Amino acid sequence: MDFTFSAEDEAFRAEVRAFIRDHLPKRSGQDQMDVEEGMSDLPALYKWNQDLHAKGWVGFHWPREVGGGGGTISEQMILKEEMARVKAPMLGLSYMGLAWVGPALIKYGTQEQKDRHIGPILRGEVQWCTGYSEPGAGSDLAALQCRAVRDGDDYVVNGQKIWTSLAMWAQWMILLVRTDPRAPKHLGITCLLVPMSTPGLTVKPIKEMNGGAMFAEVFFEDVRVAVANRLGAEGQGWDVTKDALANERSSIADVWALKHRLEAIRDLAARRTRRGRPAIEDPGIRQRIARMETQVEAMRLNGLRFVTKQLRGEPLGAETSINKLIRARIEIESGRLARDIEGSFGILAKTSPHAVDKGRWQKVMLSWPPFVIGGGTPNIQKNVIAERILGLPHDV
Amino acid sequence: MDFGFTPEQDALRAQARRLLDQELPLERILAWSAAPSALDRALWKKTAALGWAGLTVAEAHGGLGLGAVDLIVLLEEMGKSLCPLPLAATDLAAAALGALGDGAQQAAWLPKIARGDVVATVAIAEGSDVPTADGVAARAGARGTDVTLDGTKLFVPDGQHADLLLIAAREGAGVSLFAVPADTPGVTVRPLVVVDATKPAAEIALAGAVVPARNRLGAVGGAWPTLARLVDRQTITHAAEMVGSADAALRLAVEYAKVRRQFGSPIGRFQGVKHRCAEMLCDVESARSLVYYAAWAVDHAPDDVPSYASMAKAAASEALDTAGEECVQIHGAIGYTWECHAHLFYKRGRQSHVWLGAPDEHYERVMTVLQHG
Ligand SMILES: Cc1cc2nc3c(=O)[nH]c(=O)nc-3n(C[C@H](O)[C@H](O)[C@H](O)COP(=O)(O)OP(=O)(O)OC[C@H]3O[C@@H](n4cnc5c(N)ncnc54)[C@H](O)[C@@H]3O)c2cc1C
Repeated sequence: MDFTFSAEDEAFRAEVRAFIRDHLPKRSGQDQMDVEEGMSDLPALYKWNQDLHAKGWVGFHWPREVGGGGGTISEQMILKEEMARVKAPMLGLSYMGLAWVGPALIKYGTQEQKDRHIGPILRGEVQWCTGYSEPGAGSDLAALQCRAVRDGDDYVVNGQKIWTSLAMWAQWMILLVRTDPRAPKHLGITCLLVPMSTPGLTVKPIKEMNGGAMFAEVFFEDVRVAVANRLGAEGQGWDVTKDALANERSSIADVWALKHRLEAIRDLAARRTRRGRPAIEDPGIRQRIARMETQVEAMRLNGLRFVTKQLRGEPLGAETSINKLIRARIEIESGRLARDIEGSFGILAKTSPHAVDKGRWQKVMLSWPPFVIGGGTPNIQKNVIAERILGLPHDV
Repeated sequence: MDFGFTPEQDALRAQARRLLDQELPLERILAWSAAPSALDRALWKKTAALGWAGLTVAEAHGGLGLGAVDLIVLLEEMGKSLCPLPLAATDLAAAALGALGDGAQQAAWLPKIARGDVVATVAIAEGSDVPTADGVAARAGARGTDVTLDGTKLFVPDGQHADLLLIAAREGAGVSLFAVPADTPGVTVRPLVVVDATKPAAEIALAGAVVPARNRLGAVGGAWPTLARLVDRQTITHAAEMVGSADAALRLAVEYAKVRRQFGSPIGRFQGVKHRCAEMLCDVESARSLVYYAAWAVDHAPDDVPSYASMAKAAASEALDTAGEECVQIHGAIGYTWECHAHLFYKRGRQSHVWLGAPDEHYERVMTVLQHG
């Protein structure tokens, strides 16, 4: 065990800190995970993307040949940690492009596809959305029915997607369709890259419980997609996207965002009162704060154990579901705890002039589903852990 | 950056597993727990010959000179086997001698400890399970070149097996620590009757016990700051055993869930069972990460020790308390029988949960550190 970094790594950390000093955009910066806020000052964020890209820090873990930064695992850790510490915006504007479209392109794309898409993703010029879920295919994603039929050099797509985040802003979609209805369900699926401006494609925003609209329904009516826009082979769609999701990095940035939130909750508890005393002196409140701090710290250290496996060249398996499960607990409990600390003020909606901290805590309380339901619900994570780590039988 | 073990530490773990599987299978622990008897001195000597008793004792005194991380590798494996050997207690006493003892005191005791000839423990607590300076009421009074000890120590880990007792007593305005051979006249050691017989503890009555003043470790009334650090060490090593026990309880439940069939299917297929197991794994791994870091901090980041010791203990307490209980439940009625090993883990969980402080006490300390550094 050794928590120190090499001299080269420390030099890299100094470089990151200097960069932050010179380039970090000024912003309200309350909650790094807040999409609304994340999109609030686009020109500044665009500049941030360009500055990062000039350093090779967008797509930092991608190979240099495709325009990535070729960063080592420990450099990636340092970059993420230093950025998260100062509540920096995300490391690149093209959120899903960077998270899984790019990695899928790197692994399965043709040279033409890579040339066309990777540059704009790295430069933050293009927003991607993800068309996987359907009304009848959520946790059981492989049950998807959206149909694509080959017609000459095109596929003709008919059907519907739902819960498509950022669909109303995106220029491109990574789409899963069924090309062979007779094949076993995981094998009849194909992955297409679709311009959102294609005729026959309509986007209908869905209002969320917090009043915002960040995801949408997407309808396909005879939408023609060139075969040249197929990612991977026909019938390979499941592997293309499964691998891409496995590319999700460890949870360092999430841990820091949660640490910052807990710090703000402690600050809130010092300002609010209970029975005439600061709420932070209330034993019940103290227990709940400390227990959450302990869980976040465990999440951080679990992450370091997983990164160590990667550094030692061992494959990472289902362990990452452990931190996803912990995170889900904390996302929900932090909103509930903040409400309880607010006391009567907890009844106020975000827009009330009396709302504490401009309604920040109401937002936390009403905005956890992206991190809890999106990308696999806790029940599904528990299935993954039970089956792949503990070897218990599949229930379906 | 490396948050994993060295090949040497992996080898130590494998050695421990082999020996414990061979010498202390759970059937033996079960039989022993029905009628706890004297310490198996032959087995203790055997492990001492492998270097366990002197693992963290300096090489100059016949030990291996290893650190807290090496120690918790052993303790985690011992926890899996519910092994009742007094390793944690003896290590704590050796650490106390290392920190407070002078050259002569160390030379007198440490080599014997490392050889396995002397089992040792530290007696700090009395009325309260979390040892505090205020809680030390036993008194030391000077009498010429001797010191007389009076009072009662409680919850002394492995006290009934120890040849050497390091006893904390009030002296002047502070707390001193004395090396007291267990056979000193005026010292009466009684085993406490505990829920978990695999985790022995004792009561030590001191009635005018006399030791030479040169048996005082450190300055008059000056032992507390060191003892406070040692309590953290003890908390961490205990949490390491708990993580091992929680892991073993979970595995026992999981293996049963794979073979027991009801409604035409292994019960491990039912989410009421499998999801509980997944949650337990999540909690065990989290406690494990906290314990590993806390142990590392003992030798490398002393400022981090208080809060990480508390986080580790709180998380390990919750993980084991639940894993032991679920282990009984997942076994159904068989889990309630004496023959099933589940109750051994359940008892370890219920007992260890409060030993050295229940989670609420530790969360309170985490909060204090967060607020005041
Ligand atoms: C904010 C947000 C953003 C999203 N963004 C996108 C996006 O951009 N693109 C996209 O394609 N999708 C997106 N999703 C969809 C997301 O991936 C799905 O919501 C998720 O996979 C769950 O599917 P579902 O909503 O249909 O719920 P269901 O699968 O219907 O699940 C409902 C409940 O049943 C439980 N359940 C289901 N199956 C099992 C089982 N086998 N065992 C036990 N319990 C089970 C679930 O845990 C859940 O509690 C987003 C979702 C959210 C909330």
